This record gives sequence, structure tokens and C-alpha cells, in this order.
Amino acid sequence: MSRAGRLPDALERGRAASNLADPVEVVIRASGVQKVYGRSSSEEGGVAALRGVDVVVASCEWTAIVGPSGCGKSTLLNVLAGIDAPTAGTVELLGNDLGRLDERARARLRLLRVGFVFQRFHLLPVLTAAENIELPMAEAGVARRDRRQRSRELLDFVGLGGRTDHRPPQLSGGEQQRVAIARAVANQPDVVFADEPTGELDSRTSAQILELFSSLNAHGTTLLTVTHDPEIARRARRVIEMSDGRIVSDGRPAR
Amino acid sequence: MIVRASLRGLLHHRGRTLLALAGIGVSSALLVDMTMLASGLTHSFAALTRAQGYPVRVTPAGTLPFDSEAGISEAAAVSQQLREVPGVRSVAPVLGAQLYLVRSDSASEPLFTSGIDPAAQMLYLLVEGEEPGDDEIVVSGPLAEALGISVGDTVSLAVELDVALGRPRGSASYRISGVGDFLFNYAGERSVALPLARLQEITGRSDEVSLFAVAPAADADEEALVERISAAAPELSAYSTRDLTAALDQRLAYFRQLSTILGSISFGVATLLVATIVTIGVRERFGEIATLRAIGVAGHRVQIGIVVEGLALSAGGALLGLPIGLWMARRLDQILLTFPGIPARVSFFVFDGISVALAITLMVGIGALVGVIPGAQALRAPLGSALREEAD
Ligand SMILES: Nc1ncnc2c1ncn2[C@@H]1O[C@H](COP(=O)(O)OP(=O)(O)OP(=O)(O)O)[C@@H](O)[C@H]1O
Ligand SMILES: [Mg+2]
Repeated sequence: MSRAGRLPDALERGRAASNLADPVEVVIRASGVQKVYGRSSSEEGGVAALRGVDVVVASCEWTAIVGPSGCGKSTLLNVLAGIDAPTAGTVELLGNDLGRLDERARARLRLLRVGFVFQRFHLLPVLTAAENIELPMAEAGVARRDRRQRSRELLDFVGLGGRTDHRPPQLSGGEQQRVAIARAVANQPDVVFADEPTGELDSRTSAQILELFSSLNAHGTTLLTVTHDPEIARRARRVIEMSDGRIVSDGRPAR
Repeated sequence: MIVRASLRGLLHHRGRTLLALAGIGVSSALLVDMTMLASGLTHSFAALTRAQGYPVRVTPAGTLPFDSEAGISEAAAVSQQLREVPGVRSVAPVLGAQLYLVRSDSASEPLFTSGIDPAAQMLYLLVEGEEPGDDEIVVSGPLAEALGISVGDTVSLAVELDVALGRPRGSASYRISGVGDFLFNYAGERSVALPLARLQEITGRSDEVSLFAVAPAADADEEALVERISAAAPELSAYSTRDLTAALDQRLAYFRQLSTILGSISFGVATLLVATIVTIGVRERFGEIATLRAIGVAGHRVQIGIVVEGLALSAGGALLGLPIGLWMARRLDQILLTFPGIPARVSFFVFDGISVALAITLMVGIGALVGVIPGAQALRAPLGSALREEAD
């Protein structure tokens, strides 16, 4: 992490170009969100993962979602990010009512303004670290030279400047997750969703990842993190506790 | 980047990719061969018919050339009549007969003999010597070789065999004026040609021919000429090269069916192979595809990656299959042409760039497109569940 810490200029927020809705103070506004898996929303047979969730996330917040396994954390994250459609309720992401966007537009929104970090990294194993970071930029139409340079800067930012051409199988779990974080912020998203980003990592490596998140948040990226890691929950400014598909508490952690 | 990932995925699974390429290569080789076989014989036969500039055949009514014993009588008059048809440049009469080669040491050997007009013939190309005069003959290369004879030597030919005695009757000697490359002979066939009048005389078939070959004038349309000949000589049948190849085609329907069936099978095998490999690849990358979708890569971009994979496999296989197919066609041709009765000059397999390109393009195209189906399935799967599956 020695070289890490300073966010590349390219990452600084305050972007202008985006034909989707303008940056807003409220990043996420969800109301009455329900999600039933299986049987089409009927009571019997289906699994009710979310039973009516209301939540508003403001710009620059770092929110942690905690709760026992199976309480619906991942489901909520996916619904808020536009990955899954809710069975009932509405989700507004960056000023866009997700229910009114088609999949194409939702994908575009995710590509340009949302970043994702997964528990198991989910990098493309045949691409190098740099290429994995360039991929979303290439899809967004960033010129080859610019994305080359930015991927180098991002690798420096996550402390992997020397591993540009290494492929994920040649990297440790922590290193892969750092590449994944670099990929998540490649297109300078307004908000980054992370589902147990340290779930596979030891505590020392987790601390490094946490540093990166802190740094991102400090530079204005809104963060929404599902976690079992009390350390993340401590660092987040806001903790949402869930149980059985509902939010049971929402507030700042005691420091 | 997406395309790069697809291609690198193929390199990554090197063994599987090579096996797939080999399989697709072999089946596209078969496809190439069957495409070449489908039209090969007729193509090369047409080329042969036209070779000496005499593409039109005139035969006794209702018969194909050399198909029956029937002959055209009053040949001289008919020949004159044909010559007067507008657009006719030259008329080459041919009388087919069987003579016997008289050898002192052993039994007589039957020889296919043609009576021709030395000034207008389309049967052979002289490789040595000159056209035959009176008492002279042109022999086929294999005959000259077998007898160890050449231009200037003399051979004895008989018209008939005395069946009881097993001895030739009515033999005469002929000087060899030339050695010819007989275009319509099968491999190794021994045959001779001599002036028509002489053959008519010794066989007692005076003023008779088996067929006329007609050369059109440079500016004459072959089909129109055939119409005019039919009108001028309604008691005869006139065929353009197209008519002849159509007739041949009909007889070779069997070959075409065979090539169609085998071609379709190889087509199917190649396509299924690509489909299987791509489907396995897509299945394997199910989670990867979910990740791409999650980070906002558009569905059609993901599909492009999948299609590129199928395209690379089928195009690579086809590229491999082309030389294998051409090599196999040569070998098979050699085998098939040793069948007696088939002109050595024809080929069963003729490379027709357009049909081969069409077959290959179709295969490559379908190979690329089959990936779309598993791709669409992967894209239709609920994203959240797909990501969850990948995590497990
Ligand atoms: N595709 C699915 N089909 C059926 N049920 C599902 C599906 N996905 C999730 N569930 C169920 O929904 C509920 C909530 O799952 P979810 O993954 O959101 O929980 P979680 O809080 O993230 O748990 P964990 O902490 O273990 O990751 C669980 O009971 C789970 O079994
Ligand atoms: Mg979860």
C-alpha cells in the first residue's frame, strides 16, 4: 500500500459528461422495496428476501449494511444497484427511476456511474490486471491511450503498479480485490457497491482494502458496503442493520 | 477488450481448442470435397467436350453420343447440310467401330477405332507425327507404348474375327502416322483412329457415321446454333455442351445425392462441434458473463465476444480443412479414375471457387451464429442469481 493513498487526478469527482441524469444530492432513494424469489410474488412457495425496505442514501455517504446471514443484504444491494428488479416498490438511483429504465439503459447507468466490488473479485482470468481495469473504460468508449494511462494510475493507486501485466490467477486474493476496486472506479462512478469485499481476505489484507475504500470515500465517492466485518462497519459513517428482510436499525456506529 | 478476452480464452484452453479445430477441419475438408464432387464431373466433362472447339454433337435421333449402335446414314449429304447451317464453322464426323489388332505371337486384341476426318477432328491431340493419310493410322499413347511401336512402324488390323478359328479375317497393314492423346479415352486405353472413308470401306458401313461434332463460328451462340441444326436436320438430335452435361448430370444424380448427403452430414457435424464448444465455453463463463453484465457491459457486446469465439473456431477449422480437402480430393480422384470406361481427362472433383466459398462461408457463418443461442440464455438469466451462482 506504500504507493497508494493519493487518488489519480482522473479519479477526482466533479465529472461533467454524462447523458444520464445529472449528479444529485440523493444517490439512492428506495421505498417499499420487496423482493420475493421463486413463485411469482405469491406468498406460498416464494422466498421473501425483502419485506418492505425504505432507504435514502445521500451523496458522499459511506453506508454499511450488516445483519445475519440470509437476512437479505445482498438482495438489497442488488436491487438498489439495478442488478435485480424488486417485486414491489420503487428504486431511484442517481435520479433515475430504475423501474422505468430498460435493461440497456440500466446497464449504461451501471457502466458509467456505478462501480461494483464483489466478494470473489470476479476479474476476467484471461485478461491482465491492466486490461481488467481498462475493460469498463473501453466499453464506455474511452480512447485507448487514455485508458492505458488511467489503468496505470489506478494500479499505482491500489499499490499494484508493478503488476500491470499479471493475470488474476497470478495475483493473491487481496491483490485481485485491489484490481477489482481499481476496475470499479475506472469510469469515475458516483457510487460504488461492494458485497462483502473483505469476505475472502485475512485481517491484514482487509485493512488495506479498507484504506482504499476510505480514500475513495474521502474523495467523494458514495459507498454502499454489505459486510460481516466489524471493522468496515466501524469505518462507515452509517450502518444499516437488517433482519429477516427488514431494516431494524439505521444510524451512526458508536466510535 | 471483450473480443480479446474471447480469443485469449480459446488460447487458454489450448487442448480443447486444438481438438475442436481438428474436428471442424476434418468435417470442413469433407464438405469441400463433397462440394467439389457435386459438380466436378459435369464441369470437367463440359470442359473436355469444348476442348477442341467442337462443343456441339449431332447424333441419330433420340440417342446420346456413342450410346447406341445406330448410325447416321448418308453422312456426306448430312455433313454438307450441317455445314450450310449459318454459324457452323466446321463439322467433324466420327464413326466408331471395333477392329482387331493382329499379332503373330498371341491372340488378337480388340481396339476401339474411330473413323475421322483428318482435316477436322476433335478426338485427339497429336503428340507425335501427323494426321493419317490413306493406309495410315494414329494410335493412342498407351497402345504405342504397349506394342513398343512408334511413327513409321506398321501394324496389322483386322475387321473381323473368325469365331470358329479364333483368327482374324480381312486384315490389312497400316503405317503409323502419329501418336495421339485421345481426349475421351479412359486411363491406359488402347485405341486407333484412321480416315473415315477407309473405315467405312473396310467395315462395309458406307456413308455412315456415329455422330458429328460441330464447331460454331466465333460469333455464333451455341444454343441458338443447336436450335438451327435441329430445324435443319429434324431426323437427328443436336446437343449443346449444356444439353450434354445436363444429360450426364441426370445419369450422375446418384453422385450428387451422395455428395449432398455427405456434404450435409459434414456441415452438420462441423456446426454441432462449434455449437458444443461454444456452449461449453459460455456455460463455463456463466459467472464471467454475469460479471460483465453487472458492471454494465451491454448484452450485445457480450454476444459479440461469444460470436467471435465461434467465428474463430469455425474459420480456423475451415482454413485447416481447405488444404486437407484439396489433398483428399486429389487422392480420391486418382482412385475413382482407375475405374474403366471413365475418360482419364475428366475429374470427379473440380475446385469451383464460388461453391466452395459458399459452403465454407455458410459453415463459418452458422458456426459463429450458433453461439448466439447459449449467449442469449446466459444473458437472459436473472443477473442477481447468476452472480450468486458464480460466487458458489
Ligand atoms: N435466487 C434465489 N432464489 C431463491 N431464494 C434466494 C435467491 N437468492 C437469495 N435467496 C434467498 O433470499 C434470502 C436473502 O438472501 P441474501 O443473499 O440477500 O442474504 P444475505 O443477507 O446476503 O446473506 P449472506 O450474509 O449469507 O450473504 C435468503 O433466504 C436466500 O436463501
Ligand atoms: Mg450476501
